[in-house]
Amino acid sequence: MILALTIGVLVAGGTYLLLQRSLVRIAFGVGVLSHAVNLFLLTSGVPAYRGEPLANRMDPATAADPLPQAFVLTAIVITLAVTVILLALAVVGRNDDTMRMPESGEERDR
Amino acid sequence: MSLPILLGLLALVPLLSVPLTGFLGRAAGWPIGVIFLGLAGAMVPSAIRVANGDVITWHAAWVPELGLDLALRLDGLSVIFIALALVIGALVFFYSTTYFTKGNQRGFYVIMTGFTFAMVALTVSDSLVLMFLTWELTSLASFLLIARSGHAGEAASMRTMLLTFIGGLALLAAVALIMARTGTSTFSQAVASPVWGSDPAFTGLIAVLVAAAGFSKAAQFPFHLWLPDAMAAATPVSAYLHAAAVVKAGIYLLFRFSIIFHSTLIWNVLLVGLGLFTSVLAAWFAMQQVDLKKLMAYSTVSQLGLITATIGVGTSFAIAAALLHTIAHACFKSGLFMVVGLIDHQAGTRMIDRLPALRRAMPVTFTVALVGTASMAGVPPLLGFISKENIFGALLDAPGPTVAGPILLAVAGLGAVLTFLYCGKIVTGAFLDGPEPSRPVTEARWVTILPAATPILVGIPLAFTINQFAPIIEQAVVASHAVTSHTAAFHLWHGVNLELIVTMLVFVGGGLLLPRRASLRHLVERPLFTLDGAGVLGAITRWLERVGVRAAGLVRADNPARHVAAIIVTLTAVLAVGSVLLWTGGHVPPLTPGVNQVVDVGVLVIVTGSVVALVRAESRIGATVLLGGVGVAMTVQIFLLGAADVGLTQLLVEILTVLVIMLVLRKLPQEFTIKKRPQQLRNAVIAIGAGLASALAAWTVIGRRERSEVAQWYLSQAPQVTGGDNIVNVILVELRALDTFGELAVLGMAGIAILGILATIPRALLDPDPDPDSAATHVARPKIEIGEEGSPSHRALEDVEANTEPLRLLQTVLVPILVVISAVLFWRGHNEPGGGFIAALVAACAVAYVYLAKAHDRPVSRPSTPVALIVGGIIVALGTGLLGYLGGTFLEPLHVTILGTKFASSMVFDVGVYAAVLGLVILAFNVLGADREAKR
Repeated sequence: MILALTIGVLVAGGTYLLLQRSLVRIAFGVGVLSHAVNLFLLTSGVPAYRGEPLANRMDPATAADPLPQAFVLTAIVITLAVTVILLALAVVGRNDDTMRMPESGEERDR
Repeated sequence: MSLPILLGLLALVPLLSVPLTGFLGRAAGWPIGVIFLGLAGAMVPSAIRVANGDVITWHAAWVPELGLDLALRLDGLSVIFIALALVIGALVFFYSTTYFTKGNQRGFYVIMTGFTFAMVALTVSDSLVLMFLTWELTSLASFLLIARSGHAGEAASMRTMLLTFIGGLALLAAVALIMARTGTSTFSQAVASPVWGSDPAFTGLIAVLVAAAGFSKAAQFPFHLWLPDAMAAATPVSAYLHAAAVVKAGIYLLFRFSIIFHSTLIWNVLLVGLGLFTSVLAAWFAMQQVDLKKLMAYSTVSQLGLITATIGVGTSFAIAAALLHTIAHACFKSGLFMVVGLIDHQAGTRMIDRLPALRRAMPVTFTVALVGTASMAGVPPLLGFISKENIFGALLDAPGPTVAGPILLAVAGLGAVLTFLYCGKIVTGAFLDGPEPSRPVTEARWVTILPAATPILVGIPLAFTINQFAPIIEQAVVASHAVTSHTAAFHLWHGVNLELIVTMLVFVGGGLLLPRRASLRHLVERPLFTLDGAGVLGAITRWLERVGVRAAGLVRADNPARHVAAIIVTLTAVLAVGSVLLWTGGHVPPLTPGVNQVVDVGVLVIVTGSVVALVRAESRIGATVLLGGVGVAMTVQIFLLGAADVGLTQLLVEILTVLVIMLVLRKLPQEFTIKKRPQQLRNAVIAIGAGLASALAAWTVIGRRERSEVAQWYLSQAPQVTGGDNIVNVILVELRALDTFGELAVLGMAGIAILGILATIPRALLDPDPDPDSAATHVARPKIEIGEEGSPSHRALEDVEANTEPLRLLQTVLVPILVVISAVLFWRGHNEPGGGFIAALVAACAVAYVYLAKAHDRPVSRPSTPVALIVGGIIVALGTGLLGYLGGTFLEPLHVTILGTKFASSMVFDVGVYAAVLGLVILAFNVLGADREAKR
């Protein structure tokens, strides 16, 4: 199934970013992982049914499951809140991921 | 007045004290005290019924599923303690009106009235659970009152909390065990259980637990140290704490459980032994003090020790004596504390070393103090004399070996000599010894003296009329002692007996030693032990902290990646193994036809490309663009899955996320610093493993069934049930509104968390300027010919005002349009894609636009606006939820038709959603987007 591959790619990318040192990259990783989870949740409503669940114009035979949609909708807004918190943390302090090292030629990162 | 009404009214007083302190300031003590006296008066008819042998009960089902009843019970014991709590409370409040400096003293009044409520509720509670809850409430209240007194109270309040909560835990264990063994949560039923007689081990265990709880509150050894500590609190607090509230709660508990344990040996030994030991030890400590207030505090510990020991004797005669002494102590000790407050106020110190001889300057205070200390020392014809005589008698007649009684009497007599001496020290130290005042000292105002003098002076007539109150004390004895052969009768004169002789010996001994005080002082005031209780407790706490740090060190790592990796690897294993098991077990049904659609491949390609580039990106801006790319691809995928509302939300959130990221990136270096290769290789392996496992799991479980029954129900029934066509929206605001309400709470918490985090960080670290030294932040200026200075092209690129001018021009058109769109989306949300979330996000985009169009980094609103929006949104949603009770349950939607248009209460709920979401985004722009100067 193609959507499973999409989920896999998102999980891999999100995880990789989550394991980084930089808080900004971690925030990005959380965003990408959230996409993966949201997609997973959304597809639990069986992606064979893709009609919009609007009662006045839907075909009940093909309408999508509305419940996961409601869940994902709130999840997306919470992701925004989480991202803002992480970014607020990232901006505290002078540098996000760099260490200020003496100017003696050592590597800047560690 | 019935008990629930009494408690209900008392519970209202703390709420009432908020406006009262607002209007009246410190004078709020007058109405509050009058209310307390009024309530006490209203309880008199009930008290008379109780004195005639009635027991007033009330109960209601509380948690029927657990068999919990809310049971209240008014018997003789409750009456006495309620009277103390309300009347002493009222006097303390009257005293407070002039004792405190001007100001509203709101915290004091709110907590003190809450304290009174807890105390009264404790004494009428017949439900073990309620008993525990109110018990803890009194602990909390005393903690808060002590902590209120500023820096000096900090450590003291923590010690108070630690020690009283140890007792609270003991009581909790006792309550739970009693409920488990007797099968009832009602105290009076538990008392009747046969368990007590048939299982001595159980009875002994509970006796120890209850005694520990009582000791912790009543400041008995080894928990005694918190009470002298607690004198850091304001004087009215101390007066109440010592005379009528917390410590009396401990005594109350011992009385209450005495009905079960009065002839349980371990109970008798613990109470009598530790009680008398505490009494003598604390009397010695009291004698050592030079601070009058601390002296009073130790004297309370000592007096309570005497009461505890007498309760422990367990005869009905002893219980009666202990009750009488409890009343006597409440009278003289509340008064004496307030007297110390008077001295402190008028003379400017309460240190005996520094106090001049105040008897001429403050004759009224001197007289009052003299009567109070005389009562405490047991001088006839005062209440303290009668109660102490009775206590001596009770100790002498203690059951057990025949030598027990005389030994107990001798120890108590020793305590009484010490008591006599420290009482003498109060009087001589404050009023007789020392030079004449070097500066004029006057009496306090009458309104301050009267509340202090009343409880002490009342003791004189009370000593002669105490038999009027014998019936109620009799009933209290009945409540504390199953069988009573004793008819309470107290006399000032009962002939010459051993008790009287002991009292006389006490006076002679005290009278001989007191004149030699000058030479004895340096002997007495030497510390008895090299270390004190507070030091011991501090050492224990510090040791525990060290152990805790060591234990945590075993698993702690500062690098979050270590923890995250462990979780991810575990999750990968679970997903992979689970999927393989499902496949090999043949549990995987075939795919539903139509799951795979060709358009999905397009999204997959874009997502894969963006993600691969994102993880490799070294430029922060580049990474942001790619993250946006992933988001847009996701939006497309969501629309492809038939989720219009979700797709719109995703798109708007994506826009806002990118904007917020850009705010942050301005302050950070241009490029990420990528870590060394071996670690990245490990990260890549973990990430690819997790991706493969997730894909396998998704492949295994998704799209292999029909739509669920729930889905079918929503699709077929939701429009009829709610009258809305947009099923996703009606799920959000009506059918599963509780989920949405929870989500609002999370949004609110996120907002508050951001403010909280930033509030704890020093200004210098917050929102730093870009590092001027760092090569990474140095932006090379683009090499573009921008024309002469003053030319339009130069101005457009170099001048911030001109640079943002087009945006501001467009703002006047665009923002109103966005607002209208937002309103339309909100309005139509019930039937078409839209609703509170999406509408709020559109409005948030308008806010973002306004921010971008400003020439400088300024907040988009006042600092309070987003907080008001978030809190207001949650309150609106909560209010709608409570309104739902009209329709049956929390958040039940109500439908009304006004002017032919159907309205649902869920629309109001959606307003709450709208406000909270908008508030969060505004908060993000204010916090992350404004420069330091503008934020101040």
